[in-house]
Amino acid sequence: MKKLLVSAFALFLSIGMFAQETKSFPTLPENVSVKTLDGKTVQTSTFNNDGKPYILSFWATWCKPCLRELNTIKEVYEDWQEETGVKIIAVSIDDARGASRVKPLVNGSGWEYEVYIDQNQDLKRAMNVVNVPHTFIINGKGEVVWQHTSFVEGSEEELIELVRKVMNGEDISESK
Amino acid sequence: MKKLLITLSAVVLTLQLGAQTLGGGQVTGNFQIDAQFSRQDSAIGAEDVPQKMLSNVFANLLYTNGGFSAGVRFESYLDPILGFNSQYKGAGIANKFMSYQNDMFEITAGNFYDQYGNGLIFRSYEDRNLGLDNAMMGVNVKFRPVDGVIIKSMVGKQRYYWDYGKGLVRGIDGEFSLNSLIKNFEESKTRVTLGAGFVSKYEEDQTILSPIEGYKLNLPLNVGAGAFRMDLAHGNWGLQAEYAIKSQDPNALNNYIYKNGNALFVSASYSQKGLGINLQAKRIDNMGFKSERTSTGEMLYINYIPAMSKQHTYALMALYPAITQVNGEMGIQADVTYSIKKDTWLGGKYGTTLKLNYSQIMSIDKQPLEGYTTIGEKGTDGYTSDFFKVGDELYYQDFNMEISKKLSKKSKLALTYAYIAFNPVMENEHGDIHYNNVVVADYTYKMNSKNVLRGELQWLKSNIEYFDEDKRSGDWLMALVEWNFTSAFFLSVSDQYNYNGSKEHYYNVSVGYTHNTTRLQIGYGKQRRGLLCIGGVCREVPASNGLMVSLTSSF
Repeated sequence: MKKLLVSAFALFLSIGMFAQETKSFPTLPENVSVKTLDGKTVQTSTFNNDGKPYILSFWATWCKPCLRELNTIKEVYEDWQEETGVKIIAVSIDDARGASRVKPLVNGSGWEYEVYIDQNQDLKRAMNVVNVPHTFIINGKGEVVWQHTSFVEGSEEELIELVRKVMNGEDISESK
Repeated sequence: MKKLLITLSAVVLTLQLGAQTLGGGQVTGNFQIDAQFSRQDSAIGAEDVPQKMLSNVFANLLYTNGGFSAGVRFESYLDPILGFNSQYKGAGIANKFMSYQNDMFEITAGNFYDQYGNGLIFRSYEDRNLGLDNAMMGVNVKFRPVDGVIIKSMVGKQRYYWDYGKGLVRGIDGEFSLNSLIKNFEESKTRVTLGAGFVSKYEEDQTILSPIEGYKLNLPLNVGAGAFRMDLAHGNWGLQAEYAIKSQDPNALNNYIYKNGNALFVSASYSQKGLGINLQAKRIDNMGFKSERTSTGEMLYINYIPAMSKQHTYALMALYPAITQVNGEMGIQADVTYSIKKDTWLGGKYGTTLKLNYSQIMSIDKQPLEGYTTIGEKGTDGYTSDFFKVGDELYYQDFNMEISKKLSKKSKLALTYAYIAFNPVMENEHGDIHYNNVVVADYTYKMNSKNVLRGELQWLKSNIEYFDEDKRSGDWLMALVEWNFTSAFFLSVSDQYNYNGSKEHYYNVSVGYTHNTTRLQIGYGKQRRGLLCIGGVCREVPASNGLMVSLTSSF
């Protein structure tokens, strides 16, 4: 049984090689459920920014670099929005230990992001996030055009530069 | 071996392919390789590793096509790196599933992860870095008949290293958003979500001897647990509560007593821009719920009870973490985040953030049953417990505060202080409570747009003199310097010094390179024996001394 599954997958993959298209991006998983800070369950298909790109960032209350990333962007977020209309969707992967601290932390820190809680880590798994922070840029068509893990001060400038390029229709998949 | 080869080549193929479309669907995945070359070091108790090299490998493949998805995870532990249970030794497909979903229902066959509410009665999850994986193997169905209603039901067995636990786990859960269900309530500022779940475990009978000679315990073959929860939100206010009960479940964790279990978790919060307050309380009584009654250790838990304290990430603050006592504990926690506005006396030019956190975890009150002198005697109802009475043993106490401030365009400083009381009873050890004062300074300096320096200084002062059985005891100093060249490269050097104690140095040098989602990290140095906590779960990590190479990637 195991063998069969493995072989089936190997086959799948080799088909994949031939069916390879010139340029394609994975799309955001559509039917994954996450919760709003008010406890409402929503599907990821509702994630959008009116046809403009948005930044999807995975974080946790216990992850220092994540907090540094979101705090750093906070200072420039207003300027970013004015210039590019970009939106940040911040998805917390906290479990029951930290989940109820998410909303007070978000408001207390003065973050104006759209925040969701992925307590069962369904979205984290669906998007192959291994470690946090893990940041994605999703274009207006819902395609994942860029992703990166880790944050240091200064990365936010690279991030907004990439968003500008996406808005101009440039391909940024090879950018670091 | 052949199987292994096929799998490996499949993995390699996919890695070369990157994210691909095939037949309209797409293949994504991730992998993680950890390799360890450890040397013996009796001074810190690092055991000899005759294999010289140890490695853990994970590779996930995920295929999605519309509502259909399927995935496999390859794992190898040849041999498991230090700190992982030796029962992980081996390689193969550890996880496989197929799933189909549309707007109304979702069905998953194979391995799945899910939880009901906070997880007090059911949570199946993995934390690969802790060696924890209690994935279910079976079927999970989710049904959304109308907007605002989710009904879930599942049946399966739990992963136990490369095998499955003996117990059969069944469950059903419903969650109802009243705002979506009741007309005129839809646009209300008050949001109400209610939920209830039931989980049952079936396990075959076995012989467990009663203390009364010649008798075997009459074991319940089915053990049930139920929970009710609510989530209220009104503007800036929030209130969440969950209460769970468990039927008679004599098991190795509770010394085979027949008392029912129960757990209560309450959280209230208020927040507005610049201020967030969260208060929590919990009470746990005999809630160790496993799919095998004789199981001890970290595997085969059906439920999840988180520790009620802040999870520290600075090394010396995390030296003595709280450990959940499933047999009974009562805890409270208060957490405040406050942003002091810019251009004020305290806020300075850029504003200041203040975080306060307090937690205290106590034992619950336990009294012997009538006619008994001891508590928790095997084969009895164990003890009686007054729900509202706090026990007199302190398990854990933590007061901590953090002030973080941007000093200039180039520099940031965070100062943290913590007072942590730790009772070794939580680790099933005897001894006096450790009272520790810990101070951490964390400074970041941005030299230019590409180069960032960060430094940490940590100091831990304990009331306990160093003793050999606990290599953490005594007083510690730690320094860390980290240089980042953009987000692509870093170099860090650190040393933890047990200056008032064993006089041991725990130095470590790490370099890392990140390109998009691929990250290579190489570390050399000593790892102190102790608890490693990620995501609220702690696991004992033995001391090691040597080289550690870690590669992660996703595509």
